[in-house]
Amino acid sequence: MREVVVSVLFALASAWPAFPEPCSGAQPQLARISADLTLGNVSAAEARLQPIAASHPDCPEVLLARARIEEAKGNVEAAANLYVQYTDLKPQDSRGFAYFGRLFLDQHDYARADALSAAAMEKNADDPAALGLRGQLLAMKGQRQEGQRLLEKACGLDPNDPEAQYQLGVIFDRDKNPTMAVEHFRRATALTPNDARGWDYLALNLEPLGELDAAEQAYRKGLSVNQHGSLFDGFLDYNYGRFLAKRNQLVAAKQHLDRATEMAPQVRAVWYERAKLNLRLKNYQQARADAEKAASTLDSAHVILDLQIYALLGQVYARLGDTERARKYAELTRQTPPPVRGEQR
Amino acid sequence: MRLVVAVTLALALAVSSFPIQAAEPSHIQFENRQKRSGVWFVLDNGTLPDKPMIDGIPGGVALLDYDDDGYLDIFFTNGARLPELVKDGPNFYNRLYHNNHDGTFTDVTDPAGVRGEGYSIGAAAADYDNDGRTDIYVTGFNRNILYHNNGDGTFTDVTAKAGVAGLSPTGQKLWGVSAAWVDYDNDGKLDLFVSNYLDWSFATSRVCGAPGKRLSCSPTFYKGEPNILYHNNGDGTFTDVSEVMGISAHIGKGMGVAIADYNGDGWMDVFVANDNDRNFLFKNRAGHGFDEVGVEAFVAYTENGVPVSSMGVDFRDWMNDGWPSLFVTALGGETFPLFRSEGNGFFSADTYAAGIGFRSFKMSGWGAGIQDFDNDGYKDLFSANSHVSENADVDPQQHYRQANAVFRNLRQGTFRDVTDEAGAGIEIRAAHRGCAFGDLNNDGKIDVVVSAIGSPAELLYNTSPDNNHWILIQTVGVESNRDGIGTRIKLTGASGFVQYNHVTTAGSYASSSDPRVHFGLGTDTTIKEIELKWPSGTVQVLRNVKADQILKIIEEPKP
Repeated sequence: MREVVVSVLFALASAWPAFPEPCSGAQPQLARISADLTLGNVSAAEARLQPIAASHPDCPEVLLARARIEEAKGNVEAAANLYVQYTDLKPQDSRGFAYFGRLFLDQHDYARADALSAAAMEKNADDPAALGLRGQLLAMKGQRQEGQRLLEKACGLDPNDPEAQYQLGVIFDRDKNPTMAVEHFRRATALTPNDARGWDYLALNLEPLGELDAAEQAYRKGLSVNQHGSLFDGFLDYNYGRFLAKRNQLVAAKQHLDRATEMAPQVRAVWYERAKLNLRLKNYQQARADAEKAASTLDSAHVILDLQIYALLGQVYARLGDTERARKYAELTRQTPPPVRGEQR
Repeated sequence: MRLVVAVTLALALAVSSFPIQAAEPSHIQFENRQKRSGVWFVLDNGTLPDKPMIDGIPGGVALLDYDDDGYLDIFFTNGARLPELVKDGPNFYNRLYHNNHDGTFTDVTDPAGVRGEGYSIGAAAADYDNDGRTDIYVTGFNRNILYHNNGDGTFTDVTAKAGVAGLSPTGQKLWGVSAAWVDYDNDGKLDLFVSNYLDWSFATSRVCGAPGKRLSCSPTFYKGEPNILYHNNGDGTFTDVSEVMGISAHIGKGMGVAIADYNGDGWMDVFVANDNDRNFLFKNRAGHGFDEVGVEAFVAYTENGVPVSSMGVDFRDWMNDGWPSLFVTALGGETFPLFRSEGNGFFSADTYAAGIGFRSFKMSGWGAGIQDFDNDGYKDLFSANSHVSENADVDPQQHYRQANAVFRNLRQGTFRDVTDEAGAGIEIRAAHRGCAFGDLNNDGKIDVVVSAIGSPAELLYNTSPDNNHWILIQTVGVESNRDGIGTRIKLTGASGFVQYNHVTTAGSYASSSDPRVHFGLGTDTTIKEIELKWPSGTVQVLRNVKADQILKIIEEPKP
């Protein structure tokens, strides 16, 4: 389907007869609908769109709004078809390409998302939607500085775009700049309070700033809205569990790390973290089981290193009185070189 | 009814035997009296535009009573001109300041003959030849020096004769950072442990960071170096026993060194803080050798199983359970590891559990101390702070110049950062490095002297309220080494409250502290019992000792 959609899109992305003001008088409402959709208020947008669609049946903006509504509802194919229609009708409108590109990005079709975001930028390099998408994609491609520049421009032009705020926050998070990250995650979560990912990131960046009570609140807000969908965060329980463990709330930490192991059993880090907690709780057999599970779980991203696993297993077996295995892992620990960090500090 | 009475009595007993808490909570306060002290020492690291990694490392301090007048004097190590590595001007001289007993000091560097040579880093003071006078060992990049105290206010460089130049078996000068005087074989003569850093030179030096904003390169670019253990032969000479004693087989990137008998077997053990490498705990095999058990004791890595930029360390009992524990400083974003001894050979990584994790995450620390600053009977924590890189501020989360920090012991194994309440003296933002602990004015409160790159050293007098009582114990060994280093002391106050400490000058970062052992006594005005376990094996007990005094205890002969 996507191949067809894209080929049709590019084939027809040529000149189209001038439109005779079919949206006349509807612009203020269409702007509100667009803002609603940016903020994720789908039902409000849908309610506003109904009368506009009836009164302005030939208005292309209605198509764009319908496409975004369908996308928000998860109707990807319907949304794609509507985006195609819209870009056919308004080939010079960067927004159609930008929103369509985001649909592809959400479907993990990075090549098409990249092509459409580039097309959107060609048409209007001052369109916040185009800037936001392009900035995010560039950051994902490793062009972090340029991505940051575009996202900052997007946020400047439209401070109420929660996704751009969120993506800019992610860049600052990766740059280990929690002060700036917090600023943008605060804006993102204020604009979209049901964004569990944003609350999680906000909390994670409040921690190094020492704003522990605020971090606690952010984690809790995130948990209260963490439902399946595009804003779902599968690691919120993991991060909150770690936080609680650092604050010595071990029983509560255990509950969240238990959930983390259920949500992401394929991730080494969740088993590792629960093993450490069980060690602190003196649940040595459970710590052993979790640590062994962590050891047998692949971690291609190297979040938890083999060195960490060996050190943990050595400690667990020593606590269990299994001197032979404790010695084995102590030896493995010694043989494993420490991680090479950045070249400077 | 009987049950109620019994419970009431039990509670009353429990309360009365939990001692010593002052009626009011103590408040730790420091006042920087540098300006009126006459101490104008400024640590000069000789930095260059490319910021070679050597320029972040210097800054040891020693507190010692070199003239035996009962007052601590101050010795500072200093850098040198780079890249020549020579002290070609007064700004690079090491400095010795004599304590005038009135809050002022006199620079006696030249008459004492201790300007030094080369790029100096650390200092360790003790009486290695048992002549009753405190000697000084200076570590450095290209020169280690042993100064013998002549007893007349002068010192003689006896490095060559003593054989403690800090060379590898092949004759290569190793980069000495810290040193510890320790009688590892309990033969009555102090031996010398030297931590060495890494194999760096200007020829192999890398350049990191952007031009004009160079940063210190990671130590992971360079190979580590072995530490050295010198055995004291008792005739003014030493023998390098690093290999036969199992020390040099372990290659690290040694920074701070501290000593304690962590397993209570009567033999002093050695902890080495390694920079971005696993820490070492050298377990003493009854003077016949050392086993490196850092991994097995769980002190090699943080609770996350990775090494950090370990810098300074102190090794004392902050739980009052008789088991020395470890406080290590590291760089920002890493936290300061706190390893609590469980008394069974294992340590528990308690950084977050003890409440210093989130606070120390934002700090970069060098000097480190476990000392009771408010004399309440519970040892607190002190860190001398600064990032390693002068241009660290290019990262908005890091700061080169930082305030020092003090964490008050809340008992039950937790601490609270009370820096903001401890007075302006401790809030000075500077490039702090080494620090040494001791009672400069003999008022029973532990003061801190901190060295700082590019700004005057700080003399942080402890001005905490005199709510609590104290004692300073000066040990004089007879069969044991004369300083009594390694003597383990158990003190039981009149209330029954028990504390432990031991005699050492080692610890912190590249520094050397007051050999007198300090105890805060809370409200106890007398001490029920002081038990000393000397390195010789002699156990000596004193009873009904008055508080608030400096008590000299001479080792009794064995029965």
